Amino acid sequence: MCMEYNDIRALLEKYWACETTEAEEAQLRLFYAEHEDALPVDLMEAAPLFRYFHAEGEMPMPELFTDVPAPWEHPESAKIIRPFWHHWMKYAAVLLLAVGVGYSVTKFQHKHAGGNNPELAFRDTFDDPKIAYQETQRALQLISKHLNKGKTEMEKLSYFSEAQEIVQGGHN
Amino acid sequence: MSSEVFLNQIMPIKQKLFRFALHLLGNEEDAKDIIQDAFVKVWHNKEKMGELQNLEAWCMRITRNLALDKLKSKKYRITDDLDRAQEVPAAHQHTPHQQAERSDLMRRVHGLIRGLPEKYRTILQLRDIDGLSYQEIAEVLHIEMSEVKVNLHRARKQVREQLQNLHVYGIQ
Repeated sequence: MCMEYNDIRALLEKYWACETTEAEEAQLRLFYAEHEDALPVDLMEAAPLFRYFHAEGEMPMPELFTDVPAPWEHPESAKIIRPFWHHWMKYAAVLLLAVGVGYSVTKFQHKHAGGNNPELAFRDTFDDPKIAYQETQRALQLISKHLNKGKTEMEKLSYFSEAQEIVQGGHN
Repeated sequence: MSSEVFLNQIMPIKQKLFRFALHLLGNEEDAKDIIQDAFVKVWHNKEKMGELQNLEAWCMRITRNLALDKLKSKKYRITDDLDRAQEVPAAHQHTPHQQAERSDLMRRVHGLIRGLPEKYRTILQLRDIDGLSYQEIAEVLHIEMSEVKVNLHRARKQVREQLQNLHVYGIQ
């Protein structure tokens, strides 16, 4: 122990004369950090200084902005994986679009085929010409019968208008 | 300089840079700001990296210049937070009385070193806390090695005188 103290004394003298190496100074710091109590009086003088140096060297480092990983450093962790059924609206929209397109295509084809077929446009709608003739006659008679129905009413109206003209003429 | 070189060579010395800035400014938040500014500045000057021999010394010089600029700015007021000295981690468990005594002593040493002229204080810190060689200190401060030795000798002499007062008379 005495030997160690003598070494430290010698190192201290070198230290104050600025003749110590970095390793020797590190040794001094370590010695004082490890020997907290019961040192000879002459060695106590430099104790607070070396303990201070040692403690400052061990000072914890606060967190800096550079310690926080940038968002692009871990792209995997940022990626959110959802099951495919979470995108149901996407699939519904595609399905709806497909149904709409399919419907309009069939509709167009149907219309196009019907308009371009002259046989279908001029085809007769009867089987027996005699019955067709009778049916036509009956329909026309029904029209003429109802047409004459309103005619008498119109005649009455014309009487009125004539009378009105006469009256107006008389006044004038 | 790629980001890999930055991460492998610059980031490992951030604690040293932080400690350096903290001792110059005496305030943890400002020291953090300065370190972050220094990293940005280093990154912007990455073209110069190839020409440099000692990246660490260059980073420390940038940190020191930024810290001194901040100190010079009119708005800046040195807040020598005495409470911070009590945050110095204790190496062993002590009784509350011993802890208080120790904190008080650490605070006094802290105040004693902060009372030194800036140049002395910086050299003392770079040598005794950060463990830099004379050559490295000369590179950081951009001065001659002989000047480093002379200033370190004067700084230690001044510290020793004050420590003797502290030890013998209990005054600072």
